[in-house]
Amino acid sequence: MLSLSIGMARHRVAALIAVFCAVLGGAALVTATGVLAESGLRSHLPAGRLAGADVLVSADQTYHPPEDLPIGLPERRPVPAELVGRLGRLPGVAAAVGDVSFPAAVLDAGGTPVSVGHPRTAGHGWSSTRLLDRVEVDGQAPGGPGEVALDEATAAAAGVRPGDEVRVVVAGRTSAFRVAGVVRAPGAGILVTDPTAARLAGRDGTVDLVGVRAEPGAAGSVAAAVRAELRDSGLVVATGADRGDAAEPGAAADRSVLLVLAGSLAGVILLVVGFAIAGAVAVSVAAQRRELALMRAVGATPAQIRRLAAGQATVAAIAALPPGLGLGYLLARQFRRLDVVPPELPLTMSPLPAAAAALLLVVAVQGAARGAAWRASRLPATEAVAESRTESRTPSRARAAVGLALIVAATVLAAAPLLLRSAFGVAGTQVAGMLGGIGLALAGPLLARWVAAVVAGRLPARVAAPTWLAVANVRGYSQRFAGNAGALAMGVVFVLTYSLAQTTLLAATSGERQAGTPAQHSIDAPALGALPADVLPAVRALPGIRAAAPVGSTTVLWPHRELGDEAVDAQEALVLDPDAAGVLDLGVRDGSLAGLTGATVAVAEDVVRSRGAALGSSVRLILGDGTPVDARVAAVYGRGLGFGPVAISADLAAGHLGPAPDRSVLVRTDGSPEADRGLNELAATRPGLAISTPDGSAGVPPELRINLAIVVVLLGFLLLSIATKLVAATTQRRTEIAALRLTGATPRQIQAMTRREAGLLAGAALLGGLVLSAVPLILVGIGFLDRPWPAGPVWLLPAAAVAVVVTAFATTELPVRRALRIPPAAALLSPQ
Amino acid sequence: MPSPARLLRRHVEHRPSPDGPAVVLEEVVKTYGGGVRALDGVSLVVPRGSFLSVMGPSGSGKSTLMHCAAGLDTPTSGRVVIAGHQISAENENRRTELRREHVGFVFQSYNLVPSLSVADNITLPLRLAGRQPDEAWVRTLVERVGLTARLGHRPAELSGGQQQRAALARALAPRPAVVFADEPTGALDLRTAREVLGLLRDLVGEFGQTVVMVTHDPAAAALAHRALVMADGQVVATLDAPTAADLAGRLVALGGE
Ligand SMILES: Nc1ncnc2c1ncn2[C@@H]1O[C@H](COP(=O)(O)OP(=O)(O)OP(=O)(O)O)[C@@H](O)[C@H]1O
Ligand SMILES: [Mg+2]
Repeated sequence: MLSLSIGMARHRVAALIAVFCAVLGGAALVTATGVLAESGLRSHLPAGRLAGADVLVSADQTYHPPEDLPIGLPERRPVPAELVGRLGRLPGVAAAVGDVSFPAAVLDAGGTPVSVGHPRTAGHGWSSTRLLDRVEVDGQAPGGPGEVALDEATAAAAGVRPGDEVRVVVAGRTSAFRVAGVVRAPGAGILVTDPTAARLAGRDGTVDLVGVRAEPGAAGSVAAAVRAELRDSGLVVATGADRGDAAEPGAAADRSVLLVLAGSLAGVILLVVGFAIAGAVAVSVAAQRRELALMRAVGATPAQIRRLAAGQATVAAIAALPPGLGLGYLLARQFRRLDVVPPELPLTMSPLPAAAAALLLVVAVQGAARGAAWRASRLPATEAVAESRTESRTPSRARAAVGLALIVAATVLAAAPLLLRSAFGVAGTQVAGMLGGIGLALAGPLLARWVAAVVAGRLPARVAAPTWLAVANVRGYSQRFAGNAGALAMGVVFVLTYSLAQTTLLAATSGERQAGTPAQHSIDAPALGALPADVLPAVRALPGIRAAAPVGSTTVLWPHRELGDEAVDAQEALVLDPDAAGVLDLGVRDGSLAGLTGATVAVAEDVVRSRGAALGSSVRLILGDGTPVDARVAAVYGRGLGFGPVAISADLAAGHLGPAPDRSVLVRTDGSPEADRGLNELAATRPGLAISTPDGSAGVPPELRINLAIVVVLLGFLLLSIATKLVAATTQRRTEIAALRLTGATPRQIQAMTRREAGLLAGAALLGGLVLSAVPLILVGIGFLDRPWPAGPVWLLPAAAVAVVVTAFATTELPVRRALRIPPAAALLSPQ
Repeated sequence: MPSPARLLRRHVEHRPSPDGPAVVLEEVVKTYGGGVRALDGVSLVVPRGSFLSVMGPSGSGKSTLMHCAAGLDTPTSGRVVIAGHQISAENENRRTELRREHVGFVFQSYNLVPSLSVADNITLPLRLAGRQPDEAWVRTLVERVGLTARLGHRPAELSGGQQQRAALARALAPRPAVVFADEPTGALDLRTAREVLGLLRDLVGEFGQTVVMVTHDPAAAALAHRALVMADGQVVATLDAPTAADLAGRLVALGGE
């Protein structure tokens, strides 16, 4: 009898496992996204080198758009040097130091740059050592322009000691220094006298930031005093963990990247998780239908019924939450590894994302269960009992109408790539696919019943009984069939639209970049922090060089109106010289890159109309350090997808990109071996130069990597939840199968029937998935590649088809076999 | 009257014979896990065209007898022969085919397939057997059970009595050698129960249908040509042309009801 009761409970257990799995995966995904989002808001770099300062005063390195989250500005904005004196006079202040940074790299005896820390900001003035946590010096401070002090690690790597000579590349220029001292403090960098530092950093009357050290015990009062002194100055006074932001302005910008990433993931993750949970909960409520109907018959109110229905699913959900939430933190760490932000930026691990995810999921499960039980709870009790053995005769028309409306909306949204040739256009494609999938799941029951009715009417009279039964089952259990087919179709749509939209964008972007970069070589000096200024003339003097020009990149903000709202986001922009046309072909339509002198910009033609940026007009931009500028449009170019919506002149950027702008030199040769040889010789004879192929063909960009990672994770989640849902749905068919067997169906016939149903299921899912994916993918192909199909791996489609077929068959075959093992007489005894 | 064992032997020698008994059980034993001996050596012959009722206290093994006799379950030992085929020796696929061909069921819970219409339910066994339904016979049956106006409905849309009548029509549609009915009126009110029982007996009379029926109602059992009384997995009495009073007396003696 025990085995019987376990057998009876098994169909319920399968449904509860489905809910458990959906919530487990959902909790992990939502928590991981939450961790990324929270880190995007609150994560702080360690103050590092400046950890000894109690208070750091810097410019506001964020841009505050109206009614939106602040945007981090990556380029350093200086503060007046006179602050140093003012703050130094405040009571309780032990020292106030103006800190500057500049690119510097020490060469070892062989002339190779020593790699310790970030060469772009390795150089500082000696006085910054007063902000170090603890300072011990071998030797002494640099005493004149020819002297330098090194931190211990740098000195060791270069193999020098106090008194030795060392060659240092400062802001791209190599000179010999005498090592005055070695500082025992990590990250202290390469230190010169304060006046030398100011000169090398190109600073006149300004410093990067001011660090304040308080007398012992006075940290609190000093911070308050500094705040009072600087009230209304617009400067930022940072203490504690906030100091990391002041020390490294890029950190705030990188954080914004995390936030943007979390935001873009949140949409798709919530859709997929919601879909999976709704599906699993619907199966779980279906498993309870008979019980709920009987409860109704013995006098439970509709509200009580819904609470009951929600109760069971919620218990399974709550059991799944602790492991799911824990998994979420691990998952966030894995996402973090995909290198979208620098490795120093830590993830903020607070219980907040877990709490939010738990709340969200419990609400989702409750809502889904109440929704699924809604109809049964509202029926008159007698009808509820009658209906509990089968499905209601007419699937809800309202539900189907909502589904069709969603599909129509998805089709409209799928046109986004035609209007927006950007990541936003691609997001349109992706969301369109998901919405279409949800629409199909809603409209499915009516659709399935309708199609099955038509097919049933056309079946030849002498068709084999299993086939006839399979079609009758699709018709009679259209809700179950459509729910399963919809889930599988969603998997197909998701994989196809999400990944192919991504690869199409990548193909279009790198295609434009490649077509737009006639230069074959790119020269830069990552180990030096800045490309030496004499490289460009040296390259130009080589034989076989057609053109060489420096190209840099920075971040600009371009406030504009979008759909009537003020919109602004950080955009990567090229920094171009007037002679860039020799190495880059942006597809200029109007004007000329040669006009990029003074305060000028070139803009992509896609934004000309929407942002009022025709040739000759003036646009207002905000540079990477927050400076607003008005610039004249000197050129309009066509390859906006590959090169971004705006490129600014080097003149306009000058002074806003730090002491020595980080640029590479692009080189176009005549293709002769002499030219290549000349370049290679040049790189070999000068320290720190690196020759590479200009990007475009360069590796997989981080956004794509993270998107593909998400596809894989979400797909695994979807497959798991679809499979458990299908198994649960099939397990619930035990009574139905028993009734058929008592009527004379052989096990072989039952298997034939369920295999045919699995075939219909796979067919319907593939057809639905393909039809729904086709429109967005055709449109994304037209929008980005001017051809009605997307770019991407060809095997994706057959792989998806195989996955669907295997899932459909495996998840029916196994539970049916198990059901057939029970003798039909025993099935009689189990309740309906 | 020849003993069951002799009858059986004769039958086995000339099988399958259209004139042989509809069902023969020989020394059928059924034990369940836990050592419950639900059937303890039951031998039984059901001649064609006869109406047999089975009575007995709860737990005496009536349902188990029906399941074994109908080939729904396999006996632990002993043999079951239906219309000349030894069904107890076959595998599940073949057993189902034999059942489909020769056996009809009516159970307390109607066991109609909920997603199919009444008409489809009634012809389902024929369809599963790959046989073309005998239109005239099915129409006669449907008329006889009074469901002509309900053919397009789904089981959930019918009353209990109507569902049981549909189940009866379904059981009879393939013209089986024997119909087993396990408490067919157990879920019906008295009036409806009488109606269905009347119908069952009329079918035996009109079409010569062999019927084996389990019931707790002595009045219902008395409608049969012959009644068995079971206790503790054994047949303890066989009454020809039983009366309700007789049967009630037997049951009271067993301390059953
Ligand atoms: N699947 C089973 N597993 C174990 N024991 C069983 C099983 N089915 C029946 N039994 C036992 O076998 C015995 C006979 O059961 P059966 O169902 O045949 O009785 P019944 O005469 O039909 O009773 P009722 O009149 O209550 O329907 C009982 O003791 C019962 O507990
Ligand atoms: Mg019984």
